[in-house]
Formats: sequence, structure tokens, C-alpha cells
Amino acid sequence: MLIDPALWPKLHGASTHFPMALAMAAALFDGLGFVWPKSSPHKAQLHAAGYCTIILGALGTFPAVLSGLFMTRGEVLGHDALLLHHLFVWPSFAGLVGLGVWRALVNDQASPRSFAIYLVVLFLTAGLMAGAGYWGGELLLNS
Amino acid sequence: MKLPLEIRALGGAVLAALLSLGSAWMAAIPIKTMPTFSAVSTFTSSAGVSSEIVISPELAEQGHQFYDMSCSHCHGDDAHGDEGPDLHNLSISNARIAATIKKGIKGEMPTFAKKYDARQISALVAYLRSLR
Repeated sequence: MLIDPALWPKLHGASTHFPMALAMAAALFDGLGFVWPKSSPHKAQLHAAGYCTIILGALGTFPAVLSGLFMTRGEVLGHDALLLHHLFVWPSFAGLVGLGVWRALVNDQASPRSFAIYLVVLFLTAGLMAGAGYWGGELLLNS
Repeated sequence: MKLPLEIRALGGAVLAALLSLGSAWMAAIPIKTMPTFSAVSTFTSSAGVSSEIVISPELAEQGHQFYDMSCSHCHGDDAHGDEGPDLHNLSISNARIAATIKKGIKGEMPTFAKKYDARQISALVAYLRSLR
């Protein structure tokens, strides 16, 4: 099995921005949908957008993680900036998959209290993803 | 008593998150040993790491690829040093360079023994020797 080593950094760079952007978009859409007036039709539309983006974001984590593993030859922690990158990557990966699964199962049947907890976890996960992206960028720019 | 949908979904979410994390970490194990790199496949020498490494442009080029992946973020893109020292004109033997790559330096540099085999370390040494 021959794979050009130069391929993986490109694939990782290409694939990793989708889940990051989608997680942040999901937090934005669902956050706005949560506070939007109930009487407005936009509330349901915002939640629908949040639903789609979180599920696509969760699915998008898999190519991002797999290409990263190939790029680093199976390094799950590493050292220095790579270690910091991974300390953000693994919780955000697990968090985003968990959030996507929860949202897919519950859809619009969540109570306001459950949904508020979901939103808090979503914002935290989006923050972790931003941290992973920051340290990934540091690896790239400082190498 | 039937649990609310949110709680059952939470169980599914936690399970999926743990499975994903476990799968990724398990996938890392074969990836570590997988001969996925074209550089490795084109190796013709079976010699281990020694001071008798034949420095060929091809071997140095293979080592350059490994350097870019694992060393450049500390030693700099051009190996002139960053957090780690400048690697040009090293005054130690090839075997010593290989041993340092393999074992690392406590508190300063990680070990690459699990990441690179002897032939790959030879390629790295060849690349470092080509730096002038």
C-alpha cells in the first residue's frame, strides 16, 4: 500500500475545517433559535439549520481525525504544540460525535431545559474545536 | 418505568462518543506500523543504522520527508534551529545521531523509536548529513 506522505497534510487541512465551521455554525443557529421568539417561523428554521449542521459536523470529524492520524503516523498525543493540539482534538471529537448523536435521536422533542444543557455543551465543544484549530495552525505556521 | 427520550439519547451519545474515540485510538496502532510511505517502499538497503550509511541523494530525500513530518516544528523548516538546535554540520557520528533520534533526550526531545524503524532513521541521518 503506497501513499504519498505529502497527501495527508493536504487532506487533513482540507477536511479539518468542515467540522470546525459546522460546529460553530450549529452553535450559532441553535443559540439564535433558542432565544428567538416562539411566534416567529424563523425559530423552527434556525433549529433545522442547527440540526443539519451539527450532524454534518459530527460526520465531518471522521475524515479529519483519520487524515490527521495518517499524517502523524498514528501519533495520538505527541509533544509540544502537537500535544496541545491533541488535548483539544480528542475531547472536541468525542463531544461533537456525542452531540450529533444526541441531536439526531432527540431532534425537536427536547425539553427547553435539556436543550439549554445541549447548547452549553455545544458552545464548549465549539470552543474546544477552536482551540484544536489554533494549535493546528501553530504547528503549521511555526514548523 | 420508561426513561425520557433525552436521557436515552444521552446514553446513545455517550456510547457513540466513546466508541468513536476508542476506534480512532485503535486505528492509530496499525497506522503506526503500516508501510504507507512510498519512501519506505523504495528502500533497497537493508542495512541498519551505523556510521557506514551511504549518503545518496535519494536516501537524503527520503529522510527529508520524515524530517518535515516529525522534526521541522522544533528544529525549523530549514533545520537551522527553532526550539531545538541547528542541525547543520553536526560534529557527532552517524551512530550517535541515530541513537539520539531513536532514544530522544530526556526533557528536551521525544523518542522516535516507535515511530521510525532503523532504515527510516538511516534516511533521517542521511538527510541531516546532507545539510551544509
